[in-house]
Amino acid sequence: MKYFLAFLALVLSGTAAWADVRLTSNVLVERIVKDVGGNDTVVLEEPKVVTPGDRLVFTLDYKNMGTEPAEDFVITNPIPEAVSYAGGEADGSVVSVDGGTTWGALASLTVAGTDGQPRAAQPSDVTHVRWTFPQPIPVGSGGKLTFRGTVK
Amino acid sequence: MIRTAKLLSATGLSAMLAFAASPACAEGTTAGTQITNTVTLNYKVSNVDQNAVTATNTFTVDRKVNLTVAEVGNSTTSVAPGQTDAYTTFLVTNTSNAPLDLQLAATQLSGVTAAHGGTDNFDVSNLRVYVDTDNDGTFDIQTDQIVSYLDELAADASRRIFVVGNVALARVNGDVAGVRLTATAREAGSAGSMGAAITETTGTNTSGVDTVFADTDAGGNTARDGSHFAGDDFTVAAAALTVTKTSRVVSDPLNLTTNPKMIPGAVVEYCIIVANAAGSATATDISISDVLPTQTTYLSDYGVKTNGTVTSGTCNEGTGAGSFADGTVSGTIASVPASESRNVLFRVTVN
Repeated sequence: MKYFLAFLALVLSGTAAWADVRLTSNVLVERIVKDVGGNDTVVLEEPKVVTPGDRLVFTLDYKNMGTEPAEDFVITNPIPEAVSYAGGEADGSVVSVDGGTTWGALASLTVAGTDGQPRAAQPSDVTHVRWTFPQPIPVGSGGKLTFRGTVK
Repeated sequence: MIRTAKLLSATGLSAMLAFAASPACAEGTTAGTQITNTVTLNYKVSNVDQNAVTATNTFTVDRKVNLTVAEVGNSTTSVAPGQTDAYTTFLVTNTSNAPLDLQLAATQLSGVTAAHGGTDNFDVSNLRVYVDTDNDGTFDIQTDQIVSYLDELAADASRRIFVVGNVALARVNGDVAGVRLTATAREAGSAGSMGAAITETTGTNTSGVDTVFADTDAGGNTARDGSHFAGDDFTVAAAALTVTKTSRVVSDPLNLTTNPKMIPGAVVEYCIIVANAAGSATATDISISDVLPTQTTYLSDYGVKTNGTVTSGTCNEGTGAGSFADGTVSGTIASVPASESRNVLFRVTVN
């Protein structure tokens, strides 16, 4: 796994407040294997062997490491081109099926069908997923967000 | 919030561009493709927009080696005894996410149940594998080429393959020759030569492109062995002909046509009946020749009638015409379908 961690320190004039929010992205492959009893068991593996059709679980970890609450906290994740979105957790995420112009619950969105008429959007139509936090993230607080996809 | 909106729309635009740049094919994302997930976080502190935070994650799509061989159509190939270049058709498809060479091998079954239920009881000779070079769906021995592998078959591409053989003249109706076409995945390698054998990546996974066999066990195949086969069979459809010859007195010089007797000067009608057994192939162009007994004289006024039908053993006059020369009657019956009979009729006088 490669990950890139970016953070930023900002000194506001007249105060010693630090803004430092950390974000990591991780992906695991979900496989069904037989356990010793012969039962199907779901395991999550590092994405070493990944072929089309494999199920992926993307996790995003965030944490406010600064000295001030983080407000209007919005996390946006475009779905990689080679991944088909396969649904998220009931964690308040909204999706876009038009490249991030309009947002909403998947059931509320439509796309143009092959006959030119709008049809209900399917998970595979999703181009972006986004989480908007109504409350500021307190200092020292964080969390984990998850969505699923399939390798095209 | 204005700045946030700008950031979001910029993110959306780059995603759209990426979407257009590298399309995925039907059999999946091409092996070696790197999938990068980028997530962006926007927030404020004390109501002031902070620089966006991003995190990325990249992994590589591995090679999924998969292929199928399928019979085209779902019925046995009917062949005649002595037929040369009889062929059956298969479709070989590379369902991997990478180009492959596919090694091809045709084999014959031996005494087991063939693809369409019959029991294999003979082998065709001179078994060959042709590719449908001109892609027209029909076997043309002049145009299509003998191959031992398919070179550089792209992901999702398929080729039509003909398995071709000759049928011995002695084979009889209902004989079955089962054949099997096996395709084995090989490295694409360089164009013009068959690539090396492919081995599945075992043991420790690598961060590079690994190879996973994904072929199925459909139709008696072994799953995940990098090769796939399908069967078809040739079934002999022969004609089973029997010939009988009957005669009847038509008239004599004294009784005329009322209860005529076989006396010198009587007119006798010969009927040669060709019957084809039930379940046989239709026989065509059946030549009949009959040397007349020296005690008889050919009746040229009547001639030789061919293609007549037979009703309960009675010969009906046909519309075709035969000939007589050098003491021999000759005629050709155009065709006799299974379970039917046709005749050749002629008359003589008794010397």
